[in-house]
Amino acid sequence: MRAVFLRFALRNLARHKFRSTLAVVGIVIGVIAISSLGILGNSIKLSFSEAFSAVGNELVVHPKSESTISEKVLREVERASGAGSEVIPVRQRTELVDFGAEKKPVVVYGLRSEDIPLLLELEEGRLLKRGSSNCLLGSEIAEEHDLNVGERLRVGTQELRIAGILKERGLGFDINPDYAVVVEAEAFVRLFNASHSAEGYNFLIVRVNRLKDVERVKSAIESRLNKREKRVSVLDLKRLMESFNEAFAKISTFLLGIGAVSLLVAGVSILNVMMMSVVERTKEIGIMRAIGTSRAGVLRMFLYESLLLGFAGSAIGGVLSFGGGFLILSFWMQQTSYLLAPSSILCIFFGIAFGIATSVLSGLYPAWRASTLNPIEALRHE
Amino acid sequence: MNSAQPQEAVRLVEVTKIYRMPRGSVKALDRVNLSISAGDFISIMGPSGSGKSTLLNIIGCLDVPTSGEVFIAGKNVSKLSESGRTRIRREKIGFVFQQFNLIPTLTALENIAFPMLLRGERRHEEKSRALLRAVGLSEELGEHKPAELSGGEQQRVAIARALANDPEIILADEPTGNLDTKTSREIMGLLKALNERGKTIVVVTHDPLVASLTRKTLRMLDGRILSDGGATTDGGETDSGATERKTQTF
Repeated sequence: MRAVFLRFALRNLARHKFRSTLAVVGIVIGVIAISSLGILGNSIKLSFSEAFSAVGNELVVHPKSESTISEKVLREVERASGAGSEVIPVRQRTELVDFGAEKKPVVVYGLRSEDIPLLLELEEGRLLKRGSSNCLLGSEIAEEHDLNVGERLRVGTQELRIAGILKERGLGFDINPDYAVVVEAEAFVRLFNASHSAEGYNFLIVRVNRLKDVERVKSAIESRLNKREKRVSVLDLKRLMESFNEAFAKISTFLLGIGAVSLLVAGVSILNVMMMSVVERTKEIGIMRAIGTSRAGVLRMFLYESLLLGFAGSAIGGVLSFGGGFLILSFWMQQTSYLLAPSSILCIFFGIAFGIATSVLSGLYPAWRASTLNPIEALRHE
Repeated sequence: MNSAQPQEAVRLVEVTKIYRMPRGSVKALDRVNLSISAGDFISIMGPSGSGKSTLLNIIGCLDVPTSGEVFIAGKNVSKLSESGRTRIRREKIGFVFQQFNLIPTLTALENIAFPMLLRGERRHEEKSRALLRAVGLSEELGEHKPAELSGGEQQRVAIARALANDPEIILADEPTGNLDTKTSREIMGLLKALNERGKTIVVVTHDPLVASLTRKTLRMLDGRILSDGGATTDGGETDSGATERKTQTF
């Protein structure tokens, strides 16, 4: 008995090939939109969390009550963090760098020579020895201005020799050396002594060896230093990552929302097609009801129709979503490596499910209308 | 009035049907009492608006009376739910319409099989072929869509469909209204043959010739059944006055 309604639904769709095709195209577009935008949002998130993945076990300690962190506070933080952590004091200032053709403000970091290998990797050249007046150069700045090891660079009033070029590190919440100059700590004080910013440290990076200890170290630092007054603020990069992830989830939701609008339009078009179908077939519905078809049977027949449209559209849309995702990724992100990530594939399934759900929902009302037609009036309909 | 006798196919007790219209109500049936015995072959005549179709719809469980009671094969159907009435239509009643009302997307055989499929009949294919032959159509016509058949052929298919679930009662609303005289006679002959095999048949018609082929004619006017035979004395109000009263009484 069910099969007869399914067959019926198929025939009725075939009767209006053009109209059915248009309805399917609507769903296809909706599913592609929702999947591709979902893939885009997901890829943005993936690329960011990949860039930040290295810093999950770091805390960044910033001065709160004073403008810099003193040697004394550094000792206290070291004691609070305990043996399982390394505390890396960082000095930072912005200097005008002379690139010959132009002068640009560039961030200069002052790091202790023993800390440099903890944070940075060399592309070429060598790291800095203690007290060295040379500098290391970020990969981007070196590339942009075509600077090489051994050449000299004018930073503020000082002329520094480039000892090494750093590997690309990506965005960070602690330091961003890719477009920066790195100088040894003692040299930093010596070279930029004129300003008081050299007196203390700008911030501390606390590298906790075990990820699960991050919370504990954070509260140890806070309780030790902020007992009487709030002297430092401790930034938990793990927590920060989490809030970033939340933000990306919102972006993804927003993108999906845009996709959902196009699916909504497709839903309205199915609703329209089905309503037309109900009106056109009023007499037929009357005949079927008169010869003993139940309301549920009529309802099922029309629901099958919208379900078939939805299935066809969603399946085609799901397949084409790989293409759509590829296009949108190559356009927005210039790279498509995240297209086949499991979470991207999930977006496609989500799009398919949404497409089917939309078509069923938009089929419900017409089907209900068809099933509640008065058989006598429906029979009279021409 | 509580229980119908077993040999009664249809019994209407004080059936009134009032349609609420924007410009007031219309009384389509006015306290109609009617008994049709099993195996009867009757025609209902009357001018447009006299209530013939409403009567047929109520007997056919397509419509419900505003008041009064309806018994089909002894069962009181006036209090049945929508799905209960659908079941009666599917199993106890066969409809034949003026416009044939076949489903255009289905072939003749599929149209005949449709009511069987609704009931879950497994042997629907061979049964519908047998019905096709029984109404005098050749097998190859069975594969045609209704639009490819003549009016007479379509009506034969419709009669075969009405017989699909072997109902006790066949209700025909102007079955020959869209057919020429010769085909009309053939269709009436088919109905007569069915009656002879025990089916109760009720035909609504405008055509005195058609009415003359039934065993008994009822005349309706303004929602009432005029006493049998005597209806012909009502002057110009009925169709032609040419209706013959055939044997039997109720």
